[in-house]
Amino acid sequence: MRALCETAVEAALAAGASYADARAVVRRNQQVMTKNRRVETVTDVESEGIGVRVLVDGAWGFACDRRLTEQGAREAAARACAFARAAPSADGRALAPITPAQAHYVTARERDPIEVPLEEKVGLCIAAEEALQLPQVNVTQASVRAQKEQKVLVTSDGSVVEHEQVECGGGIDAMAAGDGGFQIRSYPTAHNGLSAQAGWEFVEGLDLVGHAPRVTEQAVALLTADPCPSEVTDVVIDAEQMALQVHESVGHPTELDRIYGTEASYAGTSFIQPGDLGSLRYGSEHMNITSDATTERGLGTFSYDDEGVAAVREPIVREGVLAGFLTSRETAAKIGAGAGGSMRADTWNRMPLVRMTNLHLEPGEGTKDELIAGVKKGVYLETNKSWSIDDKRLNFQFGTQIAWEIRDGKLGRMLRDATYTGITPVFWGSLDGVAGPEEWVLHGVTNCGKGQPGQGAHVSHGTSPARFRGVQVGIKS
Amino acid sequence: MSALPVAQDAIDAAAGDEAEAVVLTERSGLARFAGREVHQPTLIDNVVVTLRVVRDGKVGIAATNRVEPDGLRELARRAGQAADSSVATPGFPGLAPPADPPDVQGWDEETAALGPDEQAHRAAAAIAATTTGVYGFFTSGETELAIASTAGVRTSQSMTDATTIVVAADRGCSGYAEASSWRARSLDPAAVAREAAEKASRTNGAAAADPARYRAVLEPYAIGTLLEYFGFDTFGAQALLEERSYFSGRIGQRAFDEKVTIVDDALDPRGLPKAFDFEGMPKQRVPLVEDGVIRGVVWDRATAARASNGAHSTGHAPPASLLAHGPFPAALQMTGGDAESIEELAELVGDGIYVTRLHYLSVVDPREGVITGMTRDGTFRIRGGKVAEPLVNLRFTVSVPELLADVPGLTRDLTLVNGSDFYGERYPFGALVPALATASFNVTGSGSRPGL
Repeated sequence: MRALCETAVEAALAAGASYADARAVVRRNQQVMTKNRRVETVTDVESEGIGVRVLVDGAWGFACDRRLTEQGAREAAARACAFARAAPSADGRALAPITPAQAHYVTARERDPIEVPLEEKVGLCIAAEEALQLPQVNVTQASVRAQKEQKVLVTSDGSVVEHEQVECGGGIDAMAAGDGGFQIRSYPTAHNGLSAQAGWEFVEGLDLVGHAPRVTEQAVALLTADPCPSEVTDVVIDAEQMALQVHESVGHPTELDRIYGTEASYAGTSFIQPGDLGSLRYGSEHMNITSDATTERGLGTFSYDDEGVAAVREPIVREGVLAGFLTSRETAAKIGAGAGGSMRADTWNRMPLVRMTNLHLEPGEGTKDELIAGVKKGVYLETNKSWSIDDKRLNFQFGTQIAWEIRDGKLGRMLRDATYTGITPVFWGSLDGVAGPEEWVLHGVTNCGKGQPGQGAHVSHGTSPARFRGVQVGIKS
Repeated sequence: MSALPVAQDAIDAAAGDEAEAVVLTERSGLARFAGREVHQPTLIDNVVVTLRVVRDGKVGIAATNRVEPDGLRELARRAGQAADSSVATPGFPGLAPPADPPDVQGWDEETAALGPDEQAHRAAAAIAATTTGVYGFFTSGETELAIASTAGVRTSQSMTDATTIVVAADRGCSGYAEASSWRARSLDPAAVAREAAEKASRTNGAAAADPARYRAVLEPYAIGTLLEYFGFDTFGAQALLEERSYFSGRIGQRAFDEKVTIVDDALDPRGLPKAFDFEGMPKQRVPLVEDGVIRGVVWDRATAARASNGAHSTGHAPPASLLAHGPFPAALQMTGGDAESIEELAELVGDGIYVTRLHYLSVVDPREGVITGMTRDGTFRIRGGKVAEPLVNLRFTVSVPELLADVPGLTRDLTLVNGSDFYGERYPFGALVPALATASFNVTGSGSRPGL
């Protein structure tokens, strides 16, 4: 694949490109899902190809070819240059300088998840589902996934980066319908379970079977639980929902391409301006957010990004003040700081975009129970159910699968249909406690969308439970 | 590359098995622009073969984009291995029998021939049409869907599609417009940009609105998106069987204003026509709501067999990647009303909110059809029956059945609203909808100002 990428880059330069990079990708993905003790899907998908990105007279061009052949590489390069010439740039583009890299990165693992027999994956799902069965539950499901990707990046400024990455994950859900509406409980997370860049030992460690009884009992209990009241109150949010809170209200608005408007037509822009760096009060002093493409098991962990910039760990919010952006070489050059490092493409047939890598809420101190103990009257919220945020990432509304009232520092009755809403900097300004490192968990998000044509991204967020004061909960329709 | 021979080759590679091959080819270009120039131009050329193999009632699926003989042999091996690893599915209806798909339109030679020069030229036309900054894209593509199976299915359809969307925006103002068709010549990117810019010019100085239940006018862009999200959990048979759908237990009941009629109709040439679904079953026009009465949902063969209630496939089998979701409608259509213009709808509303488009929707409660999201790129007050001052982007949390329970009016004309964000493999779809006036649009908060 390296030779093909080199061929593509040479062809692009010969065709007039001032810069070119080529990525060859071979990806294999397996999914197993069982539902109501019936095998729903057993799929084994492979995809391969080469994508070539060029700068011609300051204009970007991108084209791809599914054939991993010399002809495919040359034709993709030629078409990328042709598209760049067809849409010329008025002002040109500068890229932040980098030191060319030679790197080879392999995900550390004990069991290659793709090599784990499909029979074993099916068996695990069926066993987990058996443990979910209760008469009042009308849908149960279990799923596992495995992915292996080999990728080579060659850039015209001399970088050659080879990656062999594996991911895997799994989860279970129980759903119940009745007078209490339609209720769902999931483990370890909602939306197709928890994934990590790791070997199959990660899935084995999830203990889907062991957690099934609690999950299914809670789904049934929610049918007769009281609805979450509509009020302004204190909330403690579990680590999983905090991961999505960080993703939506810190990750996306600090992507510098959004700030410069290039996502305005789809995902949106940002309430942050480039000049806010170092001065914007994002939240309280308890808020420390770090971007870290080196996190062990992170879905956004790599050695170099998709334009050859080294993985880094750097602060995005420090003690509540905006301290950094997620950048590309182009946006870093615009702002005159940094060198990029967050450029990632979905796969071989998409251009890299500024994406989150792994974005963490740094832990504070104490336990979740201690956070709850500090609430006289409030709500404890757990596991995401719905999510929405405006195009500048200010007004958000989230729903959780389950909640409990807090009275005098202790959990009380279970609540269903809980939602909460806020305005990003106001909400983060009300943060008055983050649980400590012992409660800090890495959550994988596998459904992050951006770009036109659309691109998915897999990112991770390390978070602990957190406490916020004076939050609107229980939004009514 | 012609898709049907590839599908046949894949079946041949699976010799000895019951097998079905679905081939989707794509050749497309998307010129994405921001400000005054194209910044993400993407050319895609791909073919994906999905092979479903059945062994002793056990089903396995594999997919590849390596369509040469060795790639297809490996595909057949992996699909067979997946089937061997599975467990027999009770009630599996087997592979679909051959059926004659209806004749549909939806392919245009001129659109299929568009290359990067023409795609970039159309993007440039949108950029040049206004002095306001524009953010959006022009895209066109040709796709072919072919299916072959050992049960005797041999069918294929070539499709074209073209879409322009434009957010015209500067500091503190933004407006939106889009156009889609299977004939690129029906699209005028410059006109789309001008519509967006005109809307943007009226959004400076936007103010907040108090949370309250308002009467409202929703443009087709907003209605199309809302119906699409409502349909995810409401209009499909699997959601009905799992009691997740608002329609669960309500078939035959009047639930909406009698002006509301919703169908799924992939055969309509005004949309993005499809002849058959992802197992080769003919597409049917399916009434979902007629004159306010809930009539039914869309089915594939698997859910029909599971229901054991006389249901049959309506031609809505999903692609393999969405099998777990079950059948879903991808050609929603709402019947128009008597209003000749959106201005007439504003008069019917009298005092309320005008909504151009919606952003980042999420289903809060599928069973009750509750959806939250934001308005965007053109939200206004309606006062005295006229569109008045601009508003900031508003958070809404609505019960869609409640929103459709009292509909003062709908426009006669329908607009095709693009439904695809072009993730994964290209399969164009959209909703054909009017603008709609409602007596109940529940605003629950205010968000960001329009524009950059």
